[in-house]
Amino acid sequence: MSADKIVVSGFRHFFQSDSGPVQATGQIDLTIREGEVVTLVGPSGCGKTTLLKAIAGFIAPTEGEIRCDGRLVRAPGRDRGVVFQELAILPWRTVRRNIAHGLEIARVAKAERDKTVERLIGLMGLVGFEDRYPHELSGGMRQRVAVARTWAADPDVILMDEPFAAVDAMTRLTLQEELGRLCATTRKTVFFITHSVEEAVFLGDRVLVMTRRPGTIKATLDVPRHGKGGRDWDSFTGDPEMRAISEQVMHLVHAERV
Amino acid sequence: MIGRLVWRLLPAAPALVVLAAWFVYWTIVQPPPSVIPSIPDVVRTGIELAIGGRLLGDIVSSMGRLLGGVAVGVATGLIAGFIAGLCRPIATFLNPLVVFFNAISGIVWLPLVIGWLGIGHALATFLIWNTVFFIVFQNTVLGIQLVPEVLEHGVRALGGGRWETIRSVTLPGALPYILSGVRSGLGFGWRALIAAELVGATTGLGQLIFSGSEYHRADIIIFGALLIGAIAMVMDRWLLAPIERRTVVRWGLVATSRGR
Repeated sequence: MSADKIVVSGFRHFFQSDSGPVQATGQIDLTIREGEVVTLVGPSGCGKTTLLKAIAGFIAPTEGEIRCDGRLVRAPGRDRGVVFQELAILPWRTVRRNIAHGLEIARVAKAERDKTVERLIGLMGLVGFEDRYPHELSGGMRQRVAVARTWAADPDVILMDEPFAAVDAMTRLTLQEELGRLCATTRKTVFFITHSVEEAVFLGDRVLVMTRRPGTIKATLDVPRHGKGGRDWDSFTGDPEMRAISEQVMHLVHAERV
Repeated sequence: MIGRLVWRLLPAAPALVVLAAWFVYWTIVQPPPSVIPSIPDVVRTGIELAIGGRLLGDIVSSMGRLLGGVAVGVATGLIAGFIAGLCRPIATFLNPLVVFFNAISGIVWLPLVIGWLGIGHALATFLIWNTVFFIVFQNTVLGIQLVPEVLEHGVRALGGGRWETIRSVTLPGALPYILSGVRSGLGFGWRALIAAELVGATTGLGQLIFSGSEYHRADIIIFGALLIGAIAMVMDRWLLAPIERRTVVRWGLVATSRGR
């Protein structure tokens, strides 16, 4: 068994509002092991983004603590990359320079930087678009740049907050397969938030289901992986075991409808 | 091909419309030249002033004052705008002061400032600064506030510190508003400049116009006005527009022309 990478213990969060504190999440305890892809499904407003932002270090938990590699999380850091729901790539940087940004910040030598960027451009199907600006790309392409940018900085942990929610259904299938492959080849620890049951089961080694607000984790399901590499939709949809897990998750999520 | 030519000449069309209206009105009504001069009169006056040698000197000294004042105004407006935009307590402290002093026209200060600074370059610089600073300041603060927070978060998650987020997110993100502030600043700078030159200078286009009004020379006044407008247009086209094309337009933050 691999080491614990992220440990969330006794986490609860409240937001301050004009009419007093609002509870965003119930108590959450969660351990993500190194190299594991953990997906989290829950109804909207259940606090899943709050949890992710706390792990990223953007918000300080009201109660409890979050540790990454045993160290207390206090601020964002390059050990924890984030792919945001809203597009966070910079409109004033070309594809190449967006992907290289994390490496520039880390003062990686130019030759090595170029090599990493080239590799990710190839891996994410962005060849030929290196010198385009984001506004010249399709929504799916932009999301690929966002994923590549986070991967290029080579964080240990990657946190993803519904990164494919805004792209069309066809492109989403491709992006999910690509992400699955990327996770399998790079062996990163990934925490992925979604409201799509199929996406959660397709990508996850483990699927967590959250209750409605204030959200707690109500169930954990392991998704067995047959063979190496990422899954593909053709064999996934034909696999009765996967279908059974999806159904189970669907029931759990449906019970939380608001 | 012809469509493109029409498109390129379109900005000149309003000038032609105005000139045509002027010509028609003047031909029909034949007003006294001290009320509205004829187009040939204004052209002749312009040529005379240019040959006389005074005109070039006036243009150069006005441009010098304008660029000096605008440079000081833009620089201080940007710096103060960035400080206020990035630091909430300072913004809260500065805002009432900015609203207060922005309402007070340079003309109000003029009698006092002549006493403090004397009549000369410093006076013109102050009066231009007094308009440009506030416009650039307020646009910069707004621009910084409107940069989406998620872009900043993205850079911080890549390991970027405060300085890196300012350099790679806040500055380019606020640029559309900053450039808009500089554009308005240049325009209002011209207005302040002419006011400054009426009282506080012996050369410049403001003085040229002032001397025209003393002798009821409407042709000189109109020629001066045309010249100021033309210089402002040229500066916008050759100074600001290229910067915009290379930055905010290139990045897709603003469209060059909507609904074409």
